Amino acid sequence: MRRILVWMAVCVIQALSGGIVLAQDLHAPASVTAGDEMTISTPATGNATFYLVGPGISRRSSITGGETIRLRPDDLRNAGRYMVLLCSGTCQSTAFYVNAATPGSLTFLVHPSRVPVSQPDAISGVALPFDQFHNLVLTPVAVDFHLTSSKALVLSQPASTRNGVAWFRATSGKSAGMLEVTAMLGDLSVRRVVQQVASDPCNLSITGQQVRGGFLVRTVPVRDCAGDAVPDGTIVSFTATGANGKSTVDAPLKHGIAQAQIAASGDTVISVASGVVMGNELHLRNQP
Amino acid sequence: MTRQARCASHAFFALFSLAAFLCCGSLPGRAGDSTLSVQLDTSRAGPRVVESLTRQRILRDYRFAWRSLSEAVEFNTLNPLNGPFVGDAKRWLSETVTSQQKSGISQRYTHQSHELGAVFYAPEGDVIELHDTARYELEIFDAGKAVDSQPIVVHYVVLMTPGSDRWVIRQLQAVPQF
Amino acid sequence: MKLALPLILVGVTVGLMAFGLAANRRAGGTVGVAEGAALPGLTPKSSTPEQGLTNLLSAVRRHSWDQAFSIVSKSSGIDEPSFIQGWIGSNGSLRSFSNLESFDSRPLHITNDEAYFRVRLRWTTPVGPVDDVRDFRLLRNGETWEVVWPKTQVSNVPAQVIPVTYLRWDLVTGSAKDEWGSQNVDAPRVRIISMNAVDTAEGAVVMGEVVNEDTIPAFINVNATLLDAKGNAIDDENSFDKIAHILLPKQVTPYRIDFPNFSLKNVQNVRMNVKAALVPASADPVIGVMNQKVASDAQGESILQGDLFNESGQTVNIPHVIASFYDSNGKVIWVSDGYVDRALLPQSSEPFAVQIPQAVAAKVQNFHVVVNQYSLDRS
Repeated sequence: MRRILVWMAVCVIQALSGGIVLAQDLHAPASVTAGDEMTISTPATGNATFYLVGPGISRRSSITGGETIRLRPDDLRNAGRYMVLLCSGTCQSTAFYVNAATPGSLTFLVHPSRVPVSQPDAISGVALPFDQFHNLVLTPVAVDFHLTSSKALVLSQPASTRNGVAWFRATSGKSAGMLEVTAMLGDLSVRRVVQQVASDPCNLSITGQQVRGGFLVRTVPVRDCAGDAVPDGTIVSFTATGANGKSTVDAPLKHGIAQAQIAASGDTVISVASGVVMGNELHLRNQP
Repeated sequence: MTRQARCASHAFFALFSLAAFLCCGSLPGRAGDSTLSVQLDTSRAGPRVVESLTRQRILRDYRFAWRSLSEAVEFNTLNPLNGPFVGDAKRWLSETVTSQQKSGISQRYTHQSHELGAVFYAPEGDVIELHDTARYELEIFDAGKAVDSQPIVVHYVVLMTPGSDRWVIRQLQAVPQF
Repeated sequence: MKLALPLILVGVTVGLMAFGLAANRRAGGTVGVAEGAALPGLTPKSSTPEQGLTNLLSAVRRHSWDQAFSIVSKSSGIDEPSFIQGWIGSNGSLRSFSNLESFDSRPLHITNDEAYFRVRLRWTTPVGPVDDVRDFRLLRNGETWEVVWPKTQVSNVPAQVIPVTYLRWDLVTGSAKDEWGSQNVDAPRVRIISMNAVDTAEGAVVMGEVVNEDTIPAFINVNATLLDAKGNAIDDENSFDKIAHILLPKQVTPYRIDFPNFSLKNVQNVRMNVKAALVPASADPVIGVMNQKVASDAQGESILQGDLFNESGQTVNIPHVIASFYDSNGKVIWVSDGYVDRALLPQSSEPFAVQIPQAVAAKVQNFHVVVNQYSLDRS
């Protein structure tokens, strides 16, 4: 009976602590480039289970000891930390890193898509290089930013990525129109378009004439302080104050001009505004 | 029952209980990790200064993202990845989960601690780059049986962008060092 | 025995009907207050002006138009279709989608042959309950009282062709797959230009104005969060319909956010958030707001009234008026809104009125009206 108990104790202790000790190490390179293949040598210790765990991959296979495991390029396309385990009774593990390959694409964020003219530091862009497997390239690379308007180069700014990012800031152009913003990295080129629009109306001015039942009020062509035409559709508010009370009309610009017919009688004061910009006042009298 | 047989059965029972206790201790539980700390230092962020409210939201959403990631790779389910992850981060995490479903492998991240440092915040605030020194206990299971457990330190380069109601992780890339 | 249960049920039903009728009759006897209720075929005779008015409005509520028109005095000079249209609305107006829920009347002046009543009509509408106050005149015709119905003035707009040359913006979503950074169309730039938080009897109110600083239309919504001294959020509300949601370039709209049953005394800060999204829009129709003035309504309450004039060729089915009121410093001290229940036909005008709370009326130095509108055939 005593012998049986001792035998059972030894078996349990052996089962808990592991019976076989692997005498040799698992070898893998410390790092590899995404999309490359690599080999891992395993110790010659008999049949074992091989595990590969990493970003986008999780594999389990049975191997014979001493076998060289080949990892295909497709297995190692995602940059990150990979873990290799070899289990035969006990488990050994090692880790290696996959780094990004050379840039294969460029992500380019530009803001805003519409900007008033002559605004300092109004336009900004951020470029991030990625390899063909969409891994962020963290080694510094040179990126050139070009701003072009009406096919003329307005600004050229070279930059180098830091922590995988390159960025720029620029003042918007002096005249309305399309501005092309391009980021270039070697043969890679990405283009974005920024629409430069007129700023707030400047020197907002109205004229008026008497018509039946009131006045017809019209603005002169509405422009910003740089002389660019304010876009059609911009709302101009006309306000008439007279004996009957106050009348207002919000009219959009059409071909640069806004007009409205306002019902009024007697002495009337008519003013105009667009957004937070005020224009002149007219003092009119509606003659019967 | 004779006295000897009684002794043998008691000893057998004791040894069996000890073995069962030790085995059960190594089975994967379903409680989930309740210790997940995240710290964020935005003092080095530029060119844009990180707003106080943005900082709070990023902390909250990053913590939630890692909880979701842990749940996804532990229980091999894709649902937790919808929401906190977009783009390439979601793609490789989804591939990880799908691959684990086929192989029967699962991972558990416990005792997580993330020290984040913002290194870039775009002028328009539409992307932020963080460096995460992540410390956690990584356990790997094969068909529910633990095959490995070790504490590790991993350096992640993280790109987050503002979504409709939260900040989302667009890139989560481990690197040997920053 | 088989018939016992059905007989009992019928008997109880008839009894309850009779009880209900008797109870309503007793209620209708209260002087000065008449509520609508009458069963078909059991309408009491319009032997008193109160009863005549109740009969008319009850019939209108039930859409019993023949019965309602029978109570209208022949001296009104109105035909039945016009009378019906006056009640049910036309041209997709707000009235077309409304129902008369109840009414309260009180007598203004009663003689042997003539009576005047002021009636508050409560309508249920798609935009919520709307109250309308009208004066009714009744004349005695023999043993019965009849309502004199005013002839509705319909604007006589001549047939014409009005070209639509106003700008229209369409939104085109990109066809390329969602590559990060490729969808380069920013949301419209809008800005809150003023904010004022006040306490009222109903709760806290945050109001102000927003401007669209961009060159494209914006769909906007304004949110406000009340914060306590520790920065914790107490409540969060949005402007709902007290704002003109679609803002054309450089257009300004008032907004008002109500926090019912909240007081500002525990509020340390208010966090404002304006959300703007790209939308297709048109600069047409142009609606003029004419003859605006502060006045008093029939009940002595302050109102801002005026006329809306549709300068375009498109019918505006449901006009919505939003008015901001300023004190002598130009600060927004109140925002009121109201729906016009008649459609605004092309080249025609309709009156409007919005209430000004008594607590604010004395401080109003200036006001600004914006017209929001909904047109059925607008794509």
